[in-house]
Amino acid sequence: MKRISALLILMFLPLVALLGCGKKEGPAPQSTGSGSAPEPKAGGELNLFGWSEYIPQEILDGFTKETGIKVNYETFASNEEMLSKLLAGSTRYDLIQPSEYAIEALVKQKKLQPLDPARIPNLKNIAAAFRNQPHDPELKYTVPWMGTTVGIVVNTEKVKEPVKGYKDVFQPKYKGRIVALNDAREIVSWVMVTMGMNANDVTPENLAKIKPTLAEWIKLVKVFDSDSPKTALLNGDVDIGVIWSGEAALLYQENKNKFQFILPTEGAHKAIDSLAIPENAENKIGAEMFMNYILRPEVSKLISDKFPYTNPNTEARKLLTPEQLANPASYPPLAGMETFHDIGKAAADVDKLVTDLKAAQ
Amino acid sequence: MNTATGQVIELQGPRRRPGVRGWLLLAPLLLWLFAFVVAPTAIMLVYSFCERDELGQVVFELSLSSYARVFDATYLKILLSSMKYAAITTVICLVAGYPVAYFIGRAREGVRNRLLMLVMVPFWTSFLIRTYAWMSILKSEGLLNGLLLYLQIISAPLDIMYTPTAVVIGLVYSYLPFMILPIYGSVEKLDNALIEAAFDLGAGPVSAFSHVIVPLTRPGILAGVLLVFIPALGMFAITDLMGGSRVPMIGNVIQNQFGQARDWPFGAALGMTLLLLFSLFFLLGLRKEQEG
Amino acid sequence: MDVMVELRAVTKRFGSFHAVSEVDLQIKAGEFITLLGPSGCGKTTLLRMISGFETPTSGAVLLDGKDVTHEPPYRRDVNQVFQSYALFPHMTVQENISFGLRMKKVPKQELAERVRAAVAMVSLGGMEERKPSQLSGGQRQRVALARAIVCRPKVLLLDEPLSALDAKLRHAMQVELKQLQKKLGITFVFVTHDQEEALTMSDRIAVINKGRIEQLGDASQIYHRPKTTFVASFIGQANILRATVLSRSGERARVRLDGDIELLVNAEHLAGGAESALISIRPEKIALRKERHGDLENCFEAHVEDELFKGATDQLRLRTDSGLALTAVVANESSVQAALHAGDRVFCHLHPDDIVIVHEE
Repeated sequence: MKRISALLILMFLPLVALLGCGKKEGPAPQSTGSGSAPEPKAGGELNLFGWSEYIPQEILDGFTKETGIKVNYETFASNEEMLSKLLAGSTRYDLIQPSEYAIEALVKQKKLQPLDPARIPNLKNIAAAFRNQPHDPELKYTVPWMGTTVGIVVNTEKVKEPVKGYKDVFQPKYKGRIVALNDAREIVSWVMVTMGMNANDVTPENLAKIKPTLAEWIKLVKVFDSDSPKTALLNGDVDIGVIWSGEAALLYQENKNKFQFILPTEGAHKAIDSLAIPENAENKIGAEMFMNYILRPEVSKLISDKFPYTNPNTEARKLLTPEQLANPASYPPLAGMETFHDIGKAAADVDKLVTDLKAAQ
Repeated sequence: MNTATGQVIELQGPRRRPGVRGWLLLAPLLLWLFAFVVAPTAIMLVYSFCERDELGQVVFELSLSSYARVFDATYLKILLSSMKYAAITTVICLVAGYPVAYFIGRAREGVRNRLLMLVMVPFWTSFLIRTYAWMSILKSEGLLNGLLLYLQIISAPLDIMYTPTAVVIGLVYSYLPFMILPIYGSVEKLDNALIEAAFDLGAGPVSAFSHVIVPLTRPGILAGVLLVFIPALGMFAITDLMGGSRVPMIGNVIQNQFGQARDWPFGAALGMTLLLLFSLFFLLGLRKEQEG
Repeated sequence: MDVMVELRAVTKRFGSFHAVSEVDLQIKAGEFITLLGPSGCGKTTLLRMISGFETPTSGAVLLDGKDVTHEPPYRRDVNQVFQSYALFPHMTVQENISFGLRMKKVPKQELAERVRAAVAMVSLGGMEERKPSQLSGGQRQRVALARAIVCRPKVLLLDEPLSALDAKLRHAMQVELKQLQKKLGITFVFVTHDQEEALTMSDRIAVINKGRIEQLGDASQIYHRPKTTFVASFIGQANILRATVLSRSGERARVRLDGDIELLVNAEHLAGGAESALISIRPEKIALRKERHGDLENCFEAHVEDELFKGATDQLRLRTDSGLALTAVVANESSVQAALHAGDRVFCHLHPDDIVIVHEE
């Protein structure tokens, strides 16, 4: 359904944006100032804008049952889509779920409200590895939801040679057997780290340097898919790929002998998807109550059960089964990995480069 | 000119201007057109001359840079290959759809309605579900390969998914009804006596088809070609799902500008250029039709 | 004379409906024959079996001695003028007329000459470049005719070709068609439900009813010697009366009507040994006099019940003293004295040959 809604959004966004522009000029009814907050009251509504396939319905139901706050859950499929809709301003969201580089951009543009730590005591459960991140070092604006990375998945029934890094995947002998994320920034970063550059060092010079290699790699790929890259692997249409860790974890659960997850030796980057409150939120208190709620160990465990990404909640991890914790795609060593930074207008150059090379085939 | 039987018949009915009541009846349509066609197009037109900021928001600053990019070799190449796919799809739809439309249009009324229903049944389910169904038929370990392997017609699975062939299959499947329905409309209106007259005057089935049936169903054929070619050119979901996003179509490029690349002005400029191109084609076709 | 078209025991069923039953018919070369009957009688189906658009359920169709029962229309040397003309709307007059010749691959020069001749024959000079939509009804009719005769068929089939024209034009076309047929010498098979048209134009008329030929003969035979009540009343008007057969001698028979009126009648169609019969008397054959005149044979008294002014004629309703009702038609008298009026007593004189025995359908 994601694509249908994407289509509809494309059709109606301009109109919505126009209406939104008009609305923005009016005084925004702010429910509270951050200092003199009244006691949280039950009832009201919470407009949540999150990733599709990322928030279990039972958590929303549990929260409503406990607080009486009705949750309206709207979904997006990429940070860019989320930003587009959020910035168009037609709907006021109380809670959004951006990844680190989107957070960085939003903080830079002052689009997020600082959190009130007094209302989120469970924040203490967050592991140290998820603090001190460049996009929000003191967790002033965000509460980490899940950690994720990108790694290599191999169908060991078909691929017998050892695979250690990106350069082992993108080899001529695997031509037409590879799935890659349909994400220009990702594939560009893989080439960059393979050639010894920093993945955030997106400059015209570096892009020119990686172009020949990138062109070779793109020619080898059979499927580009960001929405459900595991599908092509499960269907047997490809045998090897570079995909989201969560998708890999699901493949591993499916058949742990067949699908192997490998972190590329050249270096992987991690992503931290978090909850944040936009500047024009109407129910900041409800949003903070929700943040505190999902930080409870038993609630956080429910998320891990459904979506096996890396859980940042130390107390929740204690409740997981040894099997869950042993899933190499769910709990890769994220500690040393870097995150993506906002690259501003360079994103357009990256997109142009990849589009160009795809078209050149 | 003046024969014994010469009566000049009225060629055109009197032209009427809509009165107040006419405008009232038209109002919902005009409103709809304004809200969903004119206004969005106007917004896109404005956007296409704007700039984007760091975050991808549109900045209202007059600029032609987006249009300059449209004529970059990369995008022209993509436009050409999109046109190629759209053209192949249109031809296959025409060849496959015409006989179906003709058969339905010539069938008895009861049968005709039931057959029309069958053509439209796919619209009852979501387009995505149907596309996923095709994926499960065509995939490496899918129904088609399974059947062919079981019957020992092939020894290794056919590589169909994520190839241009899969894209064309998906496009043809999606747009075939849009070819059948307008042609059916023309065929149904076709006077049987005209076909009989052709036979009577010595035309065999092939001649009758090419000299009488095709020219008389031309409006339907043209409508079908437009209804298939234009949306096929802009399609992105099928290229993503069935083509593995490997061969970008112009629709994917535009979609990307509003999503991942966050460059609305460029997306708008691409869209406006396409719109201009379509309008040009359409006007040319219309003029030719009026001359012919 | 040669037989051009022969139908042998032709039957056509549509489902359980018998459109045509066991029809035998021989049409001579150069003849103008009319198939006359009410709508739904099967005359068009009969025509379509000659043209090849219908295949008989049983029986055979012979064209110029050759069995063409199963030949498609485009392999039969016949052409048809359709009721709706069926002119090709996308072609000019010229293209319409030359269509048949183009299909037969007639050389260009010959084609041009034949088309020119056909155009001249139907007086359409100067119209060659017009589209059918720019022509009047009469002109379209001529194009349809020219399009068929330019092919020089052995038989020209005409399916109610004049029914769409107004009365005046129809009469003019009747004369023209007849002249054209004489000039060309082509066999014409003409289908109509208009008895007047049939009587005016045909060499022979086949009266068709319920899928059978009810009577075949020239106009005079059909009109003066109808064999059945259907023929008598479908063509012209008729007084059909029941009579008792008293005696028979050669060509004459003596019958008695209700009310003791005895008449001497033509015995041609009287079945041997019949005790009663139906007789048909044409209204205009009843000679009305104010006084008894000469011979008492075939004369009876009646009074005028009412009169109907019909222009050239007066139609009178008569009633005998015994209560028998009759319709008579007399020339319209200009002199007031000679005219008959309601209430007048009259003497009805009839010639025995004007009283015809008819059979029930």
